[in-house]
Amino acid sequence: MTFFNTEITWFLDVYILLILGYAILIMSSYLALAYISTKELRRYLKRNSFVDYDVLLTSEFAPKLSLIAPAYNEGLTIEENVKSLLSLNYNNYQVIVVNDGSKDNSMEILTKTYDLVLTDLEFHPKIETKKIRGIYTSRNAAFKKLIVVDKENGGKADALNVGLNIAQNPYVVCIDVDCILDKDSLLKLAKPFLESYGKRIIATGGVVRIANQCIIKNGRLVEVNVPDVMLSRIQVLEYLRAFLLGRMAWGKLDGLLLISGAFGAFDKEIAILSGGYSTKTVGEDMELIVRMRRYMLDNKLPYSVSYIPDPLCWTEAPEDFKIFKKQRSRWMRGTIETLSIHRKMFLNPKYKLLGMLSVPYWTLFEFLAPAIEFIGLVITAVFIVFGLLNWHFFFLLLLFVYTFAVLFSVIALYSEEKTYHKYPKQADFFKLLMAAFIEPFYFHPLTVYAALVGYKEKMMGAKGWGEMTRKGFTKK
Amino acid sequence: MREFWELYKNGQWEVPFLTFSIYLFVAASLILYLIIVASRNGKIKKERLSREYSALIDKIMSAVIFQDVSFAEVKKDKNFLVLFDTSFFREVLTESLINLHKNYEGIYAQKLEQFYKESGLIKDSFRKLKSLKWEVKCKGITELAEFNIKEAFDRIIVYSKARKKTLKIVALNAAIKLEGTKSVNYLVEHSDPIDDWMQLNIIGAFKKHDVGDTVGIEHLLESQNTTVVALGLKLIKELKLTQKLPHVVHLAENTSNTVIKYKAQSLLQALTV
Repeated sequence: MTFFNTEITWFLDVYILLILGYAILIMSSYLALAYISTKELRRYLKRNSFVDYDVLLTSEFAPKLSLIAPAYNEGLTIEENVKSLLSLNYNNYQVIVVNDGSKDNSMEILTKTYDLVLTDLEFHPKIETKKIRGIYTSRNAAFKKLIVVDKENGGKADALNVGLNIAQNPYVVCIDVDCILDKDSLLKLAKPFLESYGKRIIATGGVVRIANQCIIKNGRLVEVNVPDVMLSRIQVLEYLRAFLLGRMAWGKLDGLLLISGAFGAFDKEIAILSGGYSTKTVGEDMELIVRMRRYMLDNKLPYSVSYIPDPLCWTEAPEDFKIFKKQRSRWMRGTIETLSIHRKMFLNPKYKLLGMLSVPYWTLFEFLAPAIEFIGLVITAVFIVFGLLNWHFFFLLLLFVYTFAVLFSVIALYSEEKTYHKYPKQADFFKLLMAAFIEPFYFHPLTVYAALVGYKEKMMGAKGWGEMTRKGFTKK
Repeated sequence: MREFWELYKNGQWEVPFLTFSIYLFVAASLILYLIIVASRNGKIKKERLSREYSALIDKIMSAVIFQDVSFAEVKKDKNFLVLFDTSFFREVLTESLINLHKNYEGIYAQKLEQFYKESGLIKDSFRKLKSLKWEVKCKGITELAEFNIKEAFDRIIVYSKARKKTLKIVALNAAIKLEGTKSVNYLVEHSDPIDDWMQLNIIGAFKKHDVGDTVGIEHLLESQNTTVVALGLKLIKELKLTQKLPHVVHLAENTSNTVIKYKAQSLLQALTV
């Protein structure tokens, strides 16, 4: 019996040490990234205050861009969305809308609105895709930048690959057609491609923010508001943390593994040489970046991935738990698939910072974190059942994690306040502050649950995105 | 320190560690919250002051431009003098002057330049050049260039060789505005590569400031630095300097660099068609 007690005590000690060790590791990594991000963000804003983007507008040497917007059943908003894409502040660009076999009237709306006619545009496909039904251009000179591709349904990655095949310019900007872009977004996204000498910039990522309850006028965001619905409100905070305190640091370290599928620019040649978007994963945005980086490292080509912290793209966040669960479980599946495809990079010195830091970080803190939390919960439940739980220590640990979560959100609010100050209304600030207190009890368990669903779906061999219903933006 | 070590050695460190961390997190959150509140209040106050100052400055500037009122007369107003002593007022005043100067030409612009010099704001700008912070230097350079202070050229051109890229670009931009191609001649000896963004800014400065005299641009084609040569070719193309084509032909015939050769040939093709 004494032996049994010693064993249990030993197990408890080891368990506590492991849990505490993991928590301390994750917290210190967050703080380290936040520190790097905040410093870099300030530096960026200082630099940016002296940048004259007009030189890009007036020069024929500005990078030529092809904007690729895959659309599936977007009939309700496609007319306005395409119009807003055609009116961005940039000269050297074309817009390629890829209708991915929509079942609604998207194609009819586009044909009628933009006076489209079938064209025999010559292109040499480098990536295999589903069959193209037709390529259309406008008879109206005002829409000469627009190309519409009608193809059989093959998913977002397949539609983006069609865009890559057709794009006539050396850089492609892949976006979600329903996103609201800042008028200067292309100017800001294009600049890094000109900045590096001796290193090839293979991709540039921009910040995505939540547009729920914001006011949209003529396809442009005119008023920023914090949503009343708690689920989307907390996502505002979550995006602030991710983009202002996380990705900025990874961008500085040149270890960025993800450029959001909603808004990112790529060097077309490298994207094609790497094989284009993978249709075998639901995390095609992350997978492409990892593959492009891997391609450059395998071929010993100097390169970099750039990151723009300005809020350039606004998207709609799910307000309903069912849709939220679908989105997050898909994100988890995408992470698992990408990490699994590129497992060779894990702790592989050949892949430098990427192999030694970025991939292990994603494995440990993005992929495994929900599983570790779940296991912790189960063990805690077992301890309670057997009366082994030290309640005092348990509550201390809970408070430790909770206060840190609140602190980290407050750091994000502080960073936002000192930089972009997009939420100037007092009421909005207090709404976000309140969300920071509620999040650990309400939102965090939901994300863990959705991630666990993602694990399960992956194990069951689930594929595809599932239907993502959007509510639409508030228009003026 | 010894106490901490004792706690660790006895295996009793977890609870004190957690308790201390919780206090630390709560305190840090509270401090950050107070900083945010203070910052928001500060911004509100600054905006209000800025609005008030702008209204006053608009009146003064209107008198300076349209009623020939000099700075000597403006400073007779005691209220103005008190405000003029505060750095924020001078900042708002300089900004307003710059904005007005951008919108006016000829005699009106000269009146504003005169006001800038007489008021001593020019000294503020020169003082900014001495700052250790590059962003302050950039501000000073921009101000001096806006008001066409040609005496500042020699001090500004020094920064075109600075290590900080933004400062380098701002300095070159300003130097081009002040002295045109004279500033570009410095680039011929430039040893560091000039990336595409910087090249675009230099070209942009030539176009924006409408530098008519392009004598000397051809010297860029003689540089040992291939990025400088590339800049020269781009400048000739964007400004459509067909009179420089013989230099381009010479470059295309004599360069051993295939990329430059190709660029020179395509420029010849573009400008001779």
